[in-house]
Amino acid sequence: MRQIALYGKGGIGKSTTSANLSAAFSEMNLDVMQIGCDPKHDSTRMLMHGRWIPTVLEQMYERKDLSADDVIFTGFGGVRCVEAGGPEPGIGCAGRGIIATFQLLEKMKALYGDVVVYDVLGDVVCGGFAMPMRDGYAQEVYLVTSGELMSLYAANNICKAVARLSQRSTARCRLGGVICNSKNMDNERELVAEFASRIGSNLVQFIPRDKAVQAAEVNQMTVIEHAPQSPQAAVYRSCAKTILENEDLRIPKALELDELEDLARQYL
Amino acid sequence: MPDNIYEARMAGCTLGGALSVACFIPGAVAVVHAPQGCVHQTFSMLHAMANESEVWTVPEILVSDIGDREVIFGGEERLSAVLDVAAEKNPDLILVVTSCVPETIGDDCGAVCARHPYADRIVYVPTSGFLGGSAKDGENAVLAALAVRAPVCDPVPGTVALVGEKNLESEADQNYAEVERLLARLGLRICVRFCRNCTYATLMQLGTAACFVLRDERAADAGKVIAERFGRPVIPEFPRGLSGCLAFLRAVGTACGVSEEKIEAAVSAESAYQDAMLAKFSPLSGTTVFLGAEPFAGTLAVAREAAARLGMREDATGTEIRLPFYLPVGTAGVEKMLYLWRRSVRYG
Repeated sequence: MRQIALYGKGGIGKSTTSANLSAAFSEMNLDVMQIGCDPKHDSTRMLMHGRWIPTVLEQMYERKDLSADDVIFTGFGGVRCVEAGGPEPGIGCAGRGIIATFQLLEKMKALYGDVVVYDVLGDVVCGGFAMPMRDGYAQEVYLVTSGELMSLYAANNICKAVARLSQRSTARCRLGGVICNSKNMDNERELVAEFASRIGSNLVQFIPRDKAVQAAEVNQMTVIEHAPQSPQAAVYRSCAKTILENEDLRIPKALELDELEDLARQYL
Repeated sequence: MPDNIYEARMAGCTLGGALSVACFIPGAVAVVHAPQGCVHQTFSMLHAMANESEVWTVPEILVSDIGDREVIFGGEERLSAVLDVAAEKNPDLILVVTSCVPETIGDDCGAVCARHPYADRIVYVPTSGFLGGSAKDGENAVLAALAVRAPVCDPVPGTVALVGEKNLESEADQNYAEVERLLARLGLRICVRFCRNCTYATLMQLGTAACFVLRDERAADAGKVIAERFGRPVIPEFPRGLSGCLAFLRAVGTACGVSEEKIEAAVSAESAYQDAMLAKFSPLSGTTVFLGAEPFAGTLAVAREAAARLGMREDATGTEIRLPFYLPVGTAGVEKMLYLWRRSVRYG
């Protein structure tokens, strides 16, 4: 079983990328599960044709007889979709929510399949959001970033978490590579490729900005489903194939802030 | 952590300290916004210590019972619900204290208390468990929160308020009686025990006192709040030892505006009383003792003064004597200590 986690700055396109990767994996006849680890619980919406599925956390305290069928919903391509859920903004502890979700899924023995894709909140702000990297869950982390400095900054921070957690005896987490979700900036591919190189990794996919993504979202589908013949769908399939074939997993070395800013300046 | 093992034992969590004050207000309900386990631990400790002091009343404590769900989604609703339960009891006062959990997850407990229909009778004390400090900080937080609710008014001459009595101390009422006896020599009376077995209405008369006497330096933070609010003298501690007793009479007398003549008369009378008390232990004169470990700073000085007054010698080869756990208060505290010494010298 391959367990893949996508991390990156909020709004960078992790959920879109995750859903399209899951759809692409399913086209390869793989048994796929996607777990949204963000309180806003919209990771799997495009796979579920716009449906907001009940979250694990909103059910686990309501029902004593909760079963896997209550929290796992089948979406496009047979992808099994789960949303952790979490508190409203500004209250409670979302990180603890992620931990509780993993504990429940583990107890239900619900974590199985050929590929499990974890779509995680923007940054590893606390130990809870590092949960997918801990205890042998996600063995491969992919950083989703654009060429914007703040996006690279978030990706760099996640490198620190990967490096720290990889030291633990129970963790098998490594960095699989960097995915550039383009914002149409000048020299963006080169900048992100150089960033990936500097942290000791590789740019595994450059995803160009394309109206096909917006069109698919408006129609509440993934690009793979909505425009299967489009060049953008081909990009997601390519990314999925690269990830499946990727055996180059590394412990990253995060950049110092000055170094990161110098790098961004070089590609302006 | 304090170096002294006895002081370390008193460090604890704010909840223990806060409840040791809150649970000694008749007619009040203590609400703890915390997981059940926090209150179980704290209550067990309070109950055991209260039993040791022969206090048999079981305090009214309600807990919001924060669980995993509240940690994730926030616990404000649970606090509101337990306030409803507390309000149904129609108490004079609801004292709300908090553990580290709501502080960590960011529950806005102050807002929950402020918008509750019973808000007028709710005193919210954000103790915050270990995040708020030690048991001492918990005690001070409750004392200060109540003190700032007490109206500022003109003092009633000749009255004294006791602040921060150690409710779990086995000698609490004996110490009170001793202070009351000493104050009577100056013509003063205690108007409020803040907070020991006084109703909320009585506690709110704190501002009528002409002078405030703290139990000891443990209540110093609350003492500062009281001094600032009422602008009147605060005596830092109960009298310790023989000479400390006389100094206490002078300090309180001066603070309360007692005449010099009356103060000196009180000191003379107490001095004679001490001499008579010491005479009962004259057989100890000339004995050699070894004073054991000092539980709290200051006890050794009190013991040495008493030993010197009795003509005792201190040497490592002498009869080993255990010093009292709490600092002896007043002449009576020294007398009690000397009874124990005499028993040790006589019977080993």
